[in-house]
Amino acid sequence: MRIVSRGPALAAGLLLLAAVLIAAFSVGGVHLSLSDLASGRGEAGETARMLAALRWPRVLLAALVGACLALAGAALQALLKNPLADPFLLGTSGGAAAGAACAALAGASPLVSPAAAFAGAAAASVGVAALARRGGRLDLERLLLAGLIANAFFSALLLAAFSIASGEASRTMLFWMMGSLADATPGKVTALAPYAAAGTAVLVAAAARLNLFAVGEESAAALGVDAERTKRVVFLAASLLTGAAVAFAGVIGFVGLLVPHGVRAVAGNDQRTLLPLSALAGAALLVAADAVSRAALAPAELPIGAITAALGAPLFAWLLLRTP
Amino acid sequence: MTDTLIEAHGLRARYGRNLALEGLDATIARGDVVAVLGENGSGKSTFLKVLVRIIPVAGGELSFDGRPLSQIPRRDLARRVAYVPQSVDLVFPIRSLDLVLQGRAPHGRGFAAETAEDLRIAREAMRACDVEGLAERDAKALSGGERRRVFLARALAQEAEVWLLDEPTAGLDPRHRLEFLETLWRVHRERGTTVLLVTHEIGLAARLATSVLLLRAGHTVAGGPRSEVLTAENLRRVFGVPFEPRGSGFAMASGVLPGGIPDL
Repeated sequence: MRIVSRGPALAAGLLLLAAVLIAAFSVGGVHLSLSDLASGRGEAGETARMLAALRWPRVLLAALVGACLALAGAALQALLKNPLADPFLLGTSGGAAAGAACAALAGASPLVSPAAAFAGAAAASVGVAALARRGGRLDLERLLLAGLIANAFFSALLLAAFSIASGEASRTMLFWMMGSLADATPGKVTALAPYAAAGTAVLVAAAARLNLFAVGEESAAALGVDAERTKRVVFLAASLLTGAAVAFAGVIGFVGLLVPHGVRAVAGNDQRTLLPLSALAGAALLVAADAVSRAALAPAELPIGAITAALGAPLFAWLLLRTP
Repeated sequence: MTDTLIEAHGLRARYGRNLALEGLDATIARGDVVAVLGENGSGKSTFLKVLVRIIPVAGGELSFDGRPLSQIPRRDLARRVAYVPQSVDLVFPIRSLDLVLQGRAPHGRGFAAETAEDLRIAREAMRACDVEGLAERDAKALSGGERRRVFLARALAQEAEVWLLDEPTAGLDPRHRLEFLETLWRVHRERGTTVLLVTHEIGLAARLATSVLLLRAGHTVAGGPRSEVLTAENLRRVFGVPFEPRGSGFAMASGVLPGGIPDL
């Protein structure tokens, strides 16, 4: 079995993310020359600075959203001992979007939307877990069906909100449904960063305990872990990360499914490596996907959710076929 | 004079919505090998799970080494009591060595276990259980017998003074069963480990156990030294079919099998 050590793996993840960030920064409708930006003189330097000021919030927002979604997916997979756990498939993202949309519809300030999205995500998690529980354990098939039900319910809510809303508000609803990084601002980046940091800190701190869940919840409890408390903490942190990501970028599917599987195949299933590496790889994936969405049909944009779904759906199908 | 380690009086516990234990009494001495026998659903596994606080006590008294069990912090308890589950299904790949290292989790900082000392203890436990050759293999890909012994090694690495084994030999072929029991017996002899063994094998209980606990519908029918408890009359009361002494153990009485099935 392949086991990689944590230090080199994380260093490689950081390098990958840095490379993707730099590459994505220069890609877009207009090519941004990094040497022009660095020299900074004359007309070329001026153009480069303007482009950079427009582009960096978007690239950084993509990185934070990708990290949040991938980390939430990785933690849920470890906690539920389920390779198909993902905030999008389990309805957590849908709940977050519905929460944010309802708050917006009620006229709440955009500052409240992360809190509303978090509330929606937490409600979705609790509801799905309650639906999927049978005889004291979370059943795999029931979990996916419960996610399906939650997604149907929340998309109905979103559609209703969309038709009630008018003008600018309906455009916002559409944004939550489709997911987009086009409206990135420096303010959004600084608003999302603390949520991402808090959720990451909580989950990485729980990594050693999550490792013991690999044999099951009872086994973890018998090894001295307060399993109930760990479950609550991880569910809440995953909901917080999902809610924050959705509040600022709408629903972008499959990131939480794709990334942990890719990382696990390369670096093994030790959560102390897998969780931080998933955050880095998730950031890199979404930054790259966003760069593709800006460049592929320039000057038009390909929706980013279409790219993640194009990557994620085949993986989901493959996992489903492989799952006994 | 025996040294009592575990004592239960009128112990009650819920499993799901049902009461799985409704008045269990047991006195277990240090160094005992206790066979826990009873029908399916009689509360055997629940009793083990209560002892490691997977299932909370719902009533009655349960003390461990003179202290109420519920007052012992989980982690302290995990350093003293190791639980080997009946069956596990692993979803993600995990190296056997990492599985055994889990036994060190209650001893380490923040449940992280991989100091040089942890590794040494884990490898030594694998050697004692004859699974050192499997250290780098994916535990998902092991055979049933190999996996049982890897989990026994995990319990050994836990350095606990009590082992709770839930049907450890169920589903093993005769050779793997024998190998597992040899390992268990050797470790018990070397370390003086107290063992609680849930099993359906009356013959195994008759040979291996020093004392026997008979459960029926969440109650204790009888408990104590093997020679006193393991009688044809008690077995009939617990399982509801006649038994008779045979060799060094017991077998279902002749003539109870229906429709001309030859006697077992």
